[in-house]
Amino acid sequence: MKKVLSLVLALFLVTGIFGAVAEEKTYDRVTITYTCPQVVAGYDYNNGDDYSKFILDKFNFEFQGTNVGWNDWNSSLITWIYAQDMTDVAIYNYGESTATEATNIVNQGLLKRLPDDWKDRWPNVAKVYETTSLGPMLEQLYGGTYFIPRARFFYNLPGDPLANHWCLWMRSDWIEAVGKEVKSAYTIPEVLEIAKLIKEQDPGQVGAALAPISMDEGNSASFFMRANSTYWDTFYKDADGKYQWGAATEDTLQGLKYWYQAYTEGVLDPEFYLLDYEKDMEKFQTLGTAGISFLGGQTADTENYRILFEQRTGNPQSAFHMANLLGGDGYYHQRDLINFWGAVCFKPDIKDEVFERWMDLMEFTASKEGYPGTQMGLKGIDWDFDENGEIISLVEPGTLLAGAVGEAKYPSLGHVLGSVILWDDLAMDNPNIKKEYRDESKKLYAERYTLSTPETFVKVDWNMWMNDSDELRRANSIDYAAEFANMVTNATSEEDLVNRYNAWLESQKGIIQPALDVLNK
Amino acid sequence: MATLQETKKPRTLKEKLLHTGKRIALEKERYILILPGLVWYAIFAYIPIFGLTLAFRKYMAKLGMFGSPWIGLKNFQNVFADPAFFASIVTTLRINAGRLIFVFPFPILFAIMINEVRLGKPKKILQSIYTFPNFLSWVIVASIMINILGQRGLVNSVMGALFGTKPVAFLGKPDYFLPVIYLTDIWKTAGWSAIIYMASISGIDVEQYEAAEIDGASRLQRIWYITLPGIKSTILVLFILAVGNLMSGGFDQIFNLSNSATIKVAETLDMYIYRITFRGSVDFGFSSAVALFRSVINMLLLIFADRVSKAVGGSGLLG
Repeated sequence: MKKVLSLVLALFLVTGIFGAVAEEKTYDRVTITYTCPQVVAGYDYNNGDDYSKFILDKFNFEFQGTNVGWNDWNSSLITWIYAQDMTDVAIYNYGESTATEATNIVNQGLLKRLPDDWKDRWPNVAKVYETTSLGPMLEQLYGGTYFIPRARFFYNLPGDPLANHWCLWMRSDWIEAVGKEVKSAYTIPEVLEIAKLIKEQDPGQVGAALAPISMDEGNSASFFMRANSTYWDTFYKDADGKYQWGAATEDTLQGLKYWYQAYTEGVLDPEFYLLDYEKDMEKFQTLGTAGISFLGGQTADTENYRILFEQRTGNPQSAFHMANLLGGDGYYHQRDLINFWGAVCFKPDIKDEVFERWMDLMEFTASKEGYPGTQMGLKGIDWDFDENGEIISLVEPGTLLAGAVGEAKYPSLGHVLGSVILWDDLAMDNPNIKKEYRDESKKLYAERYTLSTPETFVKVDWNMWMNDSDELRRANSIDYAAEFANMVTNATSEEDLVNRYNAWLESQKGIIQPALDVLNK
Repeated sequence: MATLQETKKPRTLKEKLLHTGKRIALEKERYILILPGLVWYAIFAYIPIFGLTLAFRKYMAKLGMFGSPWIGLKNFQNVFADPAFFASIVTTLRINAGRLIFVFPFPILFAIMINEVRLGKPKKILQSIYTFPNFLSWVIVASIMINILGQRGLVNSVMGALFGTKPVAFLGKPDYFLPVIYLTDIWKTAGWSAIIYMASISGIDVEQYEAAEIDGASRLQRIWYITLPGIKSTILVLFILAVGNLMSGGFDQIFNLSNSATIKVAETLDMYIYRITFRGSVDFGFSSAVALFRSVINMLLLIFADRVSKAVGGSGLLG
């Protein structure tokens, strides 16, 4: 009996030890270079907070992150890729306007092709990859995997096509003060009417600094053009299956007229074209001088935005209202966001051990065990699983875990250290975020589906995404926001605006027609 | 001892090389002084000329500059099909011609004014004040301008307080763009550019001024009849160079001071190249074709200005 017991005990110990060995893979020290605009500039991840220490120790690497500005992201990274001087790992800003460029760099062999068995070796990453829909599509196009798109949602996908989180930021106290209803969705004309009343009545007693609507050029274009015209800056298939130019549609012209109206009536920030990135946000959130903005509405940030608003302006969080923006036709307009944001890519001659290390890290952050940490910090200290396997928070409500250096507990938290599932997924269940805000966010997402039609909220057109012709590349180089902003600021009347718009459409034919010819071939 | 001039004129290549070598050896200090400049030009001006081959190729990074496929004039066809390209040429010429008229004379005026200040200390102080803005980057200047010329900036506030006027969009109206460009250019660069004229003025024989003073010439007459003719050749050389630069220059300034509201009067060739290279899809062949076109036009303008300068009796640059 003793012998049997000893044998069982010995077997248990041996398998236990082997199990531990399999679980705790040991690594040689490597250095990993990385590029992404979300890298915190000047932050030393190697001697940073406890979360970065945990990740860097666990995977035994030195991290050299390069921050690129949001505005320079594409140009910097593409230049480095062409110069064959990119970092080991980078996040490519994959999108409609950069898709052709991506195909070009893949065709030139400027990115690493992942080994064919990568999905077997890193199954968690593969599962996430499949949900992005872009990943498998690109794999089919390129005949191999070159990009691993990061999924916006994995467990909590709101729908197909995927809705964007962008939404109206409004001062509910000002809306009520001017006698209007606080609701969850507004059309563009309704917003302009409220803004006009805010300008006339100045309910916040802001004075000369008041900006009824504060938006920079890009957000203005999203507000007036994108929200009113689904295809304002791209091509679409008409009822006959023929591609047409979206900038030449009636909806686009109507959006332009709204923009002009807001500008000439003085409800839009008069120098919106001079506002730097996030200055519109500053006017709403920090200075409290703006009544309405059109900015991010990520579930993960809904509470933080309000906490900062309260701290900086002295107004209660309840004065910060979020709502959906509808076009003049009363419908929500959007093209499929596609379930990804930013795609991981590797330099072609990356060392195998460095590549594998980053894949291991991504595998960890895509696992049930590692994924909560990317937003909630350290397991056992900041969060844990309860007996039912549900995530529970171990920190005081309102604790700022992720955020700016000096304010947050873990500035390294975010999408930098290997995340392949982005924040909004967990945010919907994150007990650190007030339930009230999470429910509001879910409601806003749901409304985007009920307040749209298949014609106004459309699925992705992969045919156009996958086209890498020079003609389409040149057509994609048009800066629509700048062109329309120029018309708005220079027109002397609505009639003049329409004339300028028509003249511009005519002037672009040399670039647009060849692209249409290619698409319709 | 016989000088080089007195020796027999070299005839064969070997003799010529030997002769050149001796001349360099004799004046080696001067050649050592210009060496860094020559190296700089070789690295940053002459070697990159080979890159212009990209204008005739479809650039493939893996194949390199010379291995990329040759596509002849295809890039030029694409360039000429873009209406923004021709608009940018007109804009460039308009802005830079204005610079020649409004900005170019200011350093000369500054140099003369500073030269006329007799007291040493105020002269140095003035010189420092005028020169200082040159060391500010255009990014800083643009920020300063937003604070001064913005609708809630200093100028509009003062105008509003004094005259009750409505804010003027100095930075957002095409009509104001060129004046803003020229004024900021003068403010930033005139003091610095004046240094070369001051150096030229300092080379004028002081006895000419003394003689003119004895003859009863006024200050203005001395400037008109002595100073200006004395620096005429410097002015001409710099003018020819400025004409040769008509199709380029000023990117930093325009990039930082322009915006969507003014872009139609601000998109110079440099801005256009920047946009198509870094804001749209990267196409180095296309960008090189534009750059080559610009260089050729600049060269033609330079030759034209040189010939005109000689025709009106001045000196030229090109022999």
